[in-house]
Amino acid sequence: MRVVLAEDLYLLREGLKQLLTAHGFEVVAAVETGPELLRALLDLRPDVAVVDVRLPPTQTDEGLQAALAARKQIPGLPVLVLSQHVERLYARELLADGTGGIGYLLKDRVFNADQFVDAIRRVAAGGTAMDPDVIAKLLAQDERRAESTVARLTVREREVLELMAEGRSNAAIGQRLFLSESAVGKHTASIFGKLGLAPSDDDNRRVLAVLAFLDRGP
Amino acid sequence: MTGDWVVRGFVATLHALARGGCAVLSVLLLAAHVALMVPGFGLGLVFLLPWPFVVMRRATNAVRRLSGGVPLPYLPRPPAPAPEPDGRYQYNRRLYRSPFWPRQQRYLEWTLGDQATWRDIGWMVANPVVGGLLGFAPAALVLGGLAAVMTAAVGFLPWWALVPGLAAATAGLATAPALVRAHDAWARRILGPPQTRIGSLKAWLGIRLLALLRMLALAGLAVVSALLAVASLAALTASCLGFVVALPPVVRWTRAVATVRRRLADRWSGVRVDQPYRPEPALPPLRPDGLYEVGGHLYRSRTWTRYHQQLSWLRRDPATWRDMSWTAADPIVGGALVLGSVGALAYGFLGLVIAGLLHIVHAPEPPGLRVFADRPWLAVVTGVALAVAGVLAAPAALRAHGRWTAVLLAPTAEARLNLRVQQLTESRADATQAQAAELRRIERDLHDGAQARLVALGLALGTIEQLVEQDPAGARRMLVEARQTSAKALTELRDLVRGIHPPVLAERGLVDAVRALALDAPLPTTVTADLPGRPPEPVEAAVYFAVNEALANAGKHAGAARVAVTIDYDGSALRVTVGDDGCGGADPTLGSGLRGVRHRLAAFDGTVRVSSPTGGPTLVVLEVPCALSSPRTSIS
Repeated sequence: MRVVLAEDLYLLREGLKQLLTAHGFEVVAAVETGPELLRALLDLRPDVAVVDVRLPPTQTDEGLQAALAARKQIPGLPVLVLSQHVERLYARELLADGTGGIGYLLKDRVFNADQFVDAIRRVAAGGTAMDPDVIAKLLAQDERRAESTVARLTVREREVLELMAEGRSNAAIGQRLFLSESAVGKHTASIFGKLGLAPSDDDNRRVLAVLAFLDRGP
Repeated sequence: MTGDWVVRGFVATLHALARGGCAVLSVLLLAAHVALMVPGFGLGLVFLLPWPFVVMRRATNAVRRLSGGVPLPYLPRPPAPAPEPDGRYQYNRRLYRSPFWPRQQRYLEWTLGDQATWRDIGWMVANPVVGGLLGFAPAALVLGGLAAVMTAAVGFLPWWALVPGLAAATAGLATAPALVRAHDAWARRILGPPQTRIGSLKAWLGIRLLALLRMLALAGLAVVSALLAVASLAALTASCLGFVVALPPVVRWTRAVATVRRRLADRWSGVRVDQPYRPEPALPPLRPDGLYEVGGHLYRSRTWTRYHQQLSWLRRDPATWRDMSWTAADPIVGGALVLGSVGALAYGFLGLVIAGLLHIVHAPEPPGLRVFADRPWLAVVTGVALAVAGVLAAPAALRAHGRWTAVLLAPTAEARLNLRVQQLTESRADATQAQAAELRRIERDLHDGAQARLVALGLALGTIEQLVEQDPAGARRMLVEARQTSAKALTELRDLVRGIHPPVLAERGLVDAVRALALDAPLPTTVTADLPGRPPEPVEAAVYFAVNEALANAGKHAGAARVAVTIDYDGSALRVTVGDDGCGGADPTLGSGLRGVRHRLAAFDGTVRVSSPTGGPTLVVLEVPCALSSPRTSIS
């Protein structure tokens, strides 16, 4: 699997390169700046890109902007965004086109190499991988706001949505919650129903469900 | 048909009687008010005070219902006092064991701060006459008329009394519905919500009449100035003769009156006049010999030191002397302006028009007409012109009066500079202090948090190095722990960074950072922004934390359902408004958070205004003068 890597700190960039190579990825480019990243994404068209939000030259959200710009030209280009902090604002912008293939994780998550690599593979396959921190923030807020759509979900359904938002498959969710896969399927169907998502391609609906989750509120 | 009409008349008469009952009720209310207010205010039995208002609202609500459902004009009732964590109740920075007193105070504040209360009182005073006439007239006419008819029929009155009797009874029955309607219109007018729409002519006249009244009030205050000028002259003469004690009180009175006039200049004439006074000096440091020095003299007691300090403070301040010359000049200049408006109207109307007309009709003793004595018609015409000119000139005269007040009462350029230096010194001290405290907090957090965890991590790694040969399983367990420790260190660092300078702010600027805040806020929050560029970074950070604080406060206030944040720029200052639809009543002086915000913004000459009337909405307005850098080119 071909990967483009964008990270401005040398140590982290080399570390990530090693980690990815060790897990059988082919790092086709490891770049430092936003413009370089955009060029690499458009020229090399990798299977997945691993991108730091903050990149030179401006040290603002160059990485995020380059990834979004590349996805405008290559719809659905899988991008996993890494950051020192997670913001619901960014998550919303990343998911806004509704095509999936988006990951948004804290840099801490690379500590657990297996989970991290798993997340990259999910994103490359067109799924989503949201950081548990984003989800936790949302749920904490959700308890304070009474009249939201998500408030109409049962506790179990919320647990399922939470894991779905992290990007897990029904099988993985079942394993985590000690449920059969078909039981998880029933829950997801009920969630889609309550969020008003018409039956369509399941993967797409999963992204839309997460988006609805992130987008609700004001 | 006629039967119908009579029945309707009788029903309306009964309705009118019920409204007459309202008049009796207002008499009783008036008596109750006098009975409760006199001891309440006069004897300080404050706990009696809410009762008249409770009774009044009950009574007027009944009248409203009776008068065809007049809508309620009152502000919403304040929430019941909520206990602090320790079970006591706070009101106005004092803690009470029982909620009784805070509740009373809030109730008083609520009722006395409501225009509708004063309209209720107006109703109470006027209704015995108005309501009584309207309510009892039909019944009186009908009963009186019938009585006349009866007595005439029996023969006590001559037969022709039948005619006026019947006429009166008929008139009573016929007018009853109209009088009931008139009563209800009167009740609606005074007990309903005030009508805000005013016709343009009425408004035009109103503005001029108001200006005239204000000029009249200023004339009264000019008399006060004149009295003060005399007092100042006396005090100065006395102090020249060595009797210095007389000066400070006179200066203080002058300052009080001048302060009122500055405020009036702002409120009535729209001319902003700042306070020019130097700040009161602090007690000088104690000398080694235990004495205080003021201007080359040494004093032992604090009281005397303070007294002499104040004396020299008042004497050295040029504003004192400018105030004094103003007290002497105001009766002349201000008086001339009053003559130009109120005087022109009064003389034109009374001295020329009335006197001229009296001359024309050859009244027995016409008042003296000094000018145009032989041509009274001309006097009338001139008088009308003069009166109209006086009315027209009133707003201009009021504005000129404000500008005149500014001439002597506004700070001089030097005083302004002094005040500015003073202000800058204070805000710099605050900023430095805040910065030092912030650094201390960061140091403590790093020391107890990330730094300690990194030490633990190093220790663990050392142990693992030892264990890896002998006990691989144990080493693996320790590795897991070490990883958790490093994750915790990262989380702590992240929180710390958020508190120093939030990353979204660095990456996206103020507007998106506030959007991110709004997304995480406990209440649904909308953000509207119109910012043509980016403010300087320190301003952005200060405003960001201010908005954070305001949003947190809005979340804590009871009753708010949503919050709106607007960010805009008026060409010289960044303005951010945080408004919620809660029940208001927030005390802007309370809350250390907001005080910190105020200090932080003061470093940029920024201001925080909190408006939170009881009943809401609460509005926090932050204003920071700054320049914007050119807009960032955004890809999205």
